Amino acid sequence: MENTIEVKNLTKKYKNLTAINDLSFSVKKGEILGLLGPNGSGKSTTINCLLSLLSYDQGSIKIFNEEMTPDSYEIKRKIGVVFQEVAIFEELTVKDNIDYFCGLYIKDKNTRKKYIEDAIKLVGLEKFKKFYPKQLSGGLLRRLNIACGIAHKPKLIFLDEPTVAVDPQSRNNILDGIQKLRNQGATIIYTTHYMEEVELICDRIIILDKGKIIASGTLDELKSLATIEEKVSVEVQDLEEKYLEEIKKLKYVDLVTYQNNNLQITYKKGQNNISHLIDFFNKNKIAYNKIFSERPTLNDVFLELTGRELRNE
Amino acid sequence: MRHNFKYTLKILFQNKALIFWTFAFPIILGTFFNMAFSDIEKNEKLAIIDVAVVKNEKFENDEFLKNALKILSDKKNKDQLFNIEYVNQKQAKKLLVEDKITGYLIVTNKPKIVIKSNGINETIFKYIIEEITTTKKMVNIIANNRLYKEIPTNKISNIENFYTSIYKKILSLKDESINIKDISNKNLSYTMIEFYTLIAMACLYGGIIGMTAINNNLPNMSNKGKRIAISSIPKKKLLLSTVAASYLVQLIGLILLFIYTIFILKIDYGDNIFLIILLSLVSSLAGLSLGITVSCLIKSSENTKTGIILALTMFCCFLSGMMGITMKYIIDKNIPLLNKINPASMITDGFYSLYYYDTLSRYTKNIISLLIFSIILLVIATFCLRRQKYDNI
Repeated sequence: MENTIEVKNLTKKYKNLTAINDLSFSVKKGEILGLLGPNGSGKSTTINCLLSLLSYDQGSIKIFNEEMTPDSYEIKRKIGVVFQEVAIFEELTVKDNIDYFCGLYIKDKNTRKKYIEDAIKLVGLEKFKKFYPKQLSGGLLRRLNIACGIAHKPKLIFLDEPTVAVDPQSRNNILDGIQKLRNQGATIIYTTHYMEEVELICDRIIILDKGKIIASGTLDELKSLATIEEKVSVEVQDLEEKYLEEIKKLKYVDLVTYQNNNLQITYKKGQNNISHLIDFFNKNKIAYNKIFSERPTLNDVFLELTGRELRNE
Repeated sequence: MRHNFKYTLKILFQNKALIFWTFAFPIILGTFFNMAFSDIEKNEKLAIIDVAVVKNEKFENDEFLKNALKILSDKKNKDQLFNIEYVNQKQAKKLLVEDKITGYLIVTNKPKIVIKSNGINETIFKYIIEEITTTKKMVNIIANNRLYKEIPTNKISNIENFYTSIYKKILSLKDESINIKDISNKNLSYTMIEFYTLIAMACLYGGIIGMTAINNNLPNMSNKGKRIAISSIPKKKLLLSTVAASYLVQLIGLILLFIYTIFILKIDYGDNIFLIILLSLVSSLAGLSLGITVSCLIKSSENTKTGIILALTMFCCFLSGMMGITMKYIIDKNIPLLNKINPASMITDGFYSLYYYDTLSRYTKNIISLLIFSIILLVIATFCLRRQKYDNI
């Protein structure tokens, strides 16, 4: 499939600090690429370099098969950006804000009018068209921020942490909107430090840490990098120490922790681990509640690769 | 680019803080000035300054000074400025100690003013004596030169014509020549000077408009700037339309101020309305340039930049005499260069020269100075704005 973006050996330094270190990757047409990494890992810097806002020390960036420069207005015409920080005018209404930013790309008034309506519908701001930003909640502001970035129907969209500090309803709305944009044919680069979002919407993921790519691939490919296979959580009242020791000896068990009546068991591999555990409880007449099983998350992958938690960064 | 121009206007007019500082504040201040100074002005017009002159040999021999003071203290003259007592130095000192006079003049090697404190009357007294002395010096220099050249050739046939030609020569050399006639023709209006500094302030406050608008366009200054910078409109077009819209908003504010002061406060700016408009246009450009340059050079929040422009403008206006004409005189006397590079001084001086002088050379000089000031700042700003990529944002 045709590549929309091709980045080769991109390096960006701030004096002694290397913000991006020899980054190479490509983004295929129509895919959602997730850039995942803790704060300060170089996600936003990468996007700013791709957009030619920031100078870089080394490397090349091609977008739509052309070298990206600050004067590449034809390329810019096809790009939409939603920055991490809300970038709208407090002095303009919701509709005027979208009209202003859309008008920087679309000259024809009638086309623009239609596009604005589409954008408003996509982010669910139909009831707030005449509202001023100060009248909107944080979540609605984020939605407006997205509408301003995508109203001109770009073919390539950069979304830089668009869901930071939003309520669950707005988050779901935003994530739905992103999937709709992809269905309409847009290529999307999505940066976040929320792994759940990446798992939910991204086709391919690049994990960044300290400006370097530490892993990339599909969700399954990345999860296969984790040495653990399954994590089981069980609510058990007052479990005796001797049983804990016995559980540790069960087949494929890697790690056992017990805190606040919550028993957590990590399995390296194996099948039917839960049924074996239930058999053990029944045999020893141990009462239990709520039993959960989960596959390794991207946080586990990040933990394996860096020794640090992604979510705590 | 009409779209950006239209929305920049809309954004600027909706910005309440901006409209307050650039539209409302000068009007409010003007109202206060009018309330505070109109009575003073009425009293000042009637007040004749009591001064003394020490009668000594050197004064008696200085015909030029004697005549000048005679005209200025002539009771038949409706523009009489001084009430002069001719006394000896001891009596003059006594009069001054007893607060019966503003100050006294004593001619030793050159005329010297003795005053007790600083004030408007003292300033006028010092100013006029200095003007008389300067004018006398010029007359002497030119007369000596001409006499030296023309006596041997017998070219001087009519002494009256000779002095007339010298007087014209002085006017051409010294455009701001406040001769005795000029001083007595018009009252020195402090209210007018306050209003000139008010207009200067309004023009320079326009810098906040330029700063705000440009700030919105710069990716290293605001998030909106980042979004605008990655749009498909060339930077040059965006900035030009932004600056044009800012300038228009600034001019609208200035027009409102003029309308208010002329029609409501009944301020008389003089007859040369087109020249007043021209000076206002150039002054606004200077204000705009200041704002754009601050916006480009200082990387801090919009509020900080607004504070910087407000403080800078107020300081310039203070130096140009907004809080008291004495300051303008002090700066003129001690650090004349400061008034030459102070845009507020250039603006007030431009208006002042239009009001008081018949010649336009001083006015033109101020217009040119303001244009040079604007061009220098715009060149600096353009240099900064040309940047397409940033090291950090």
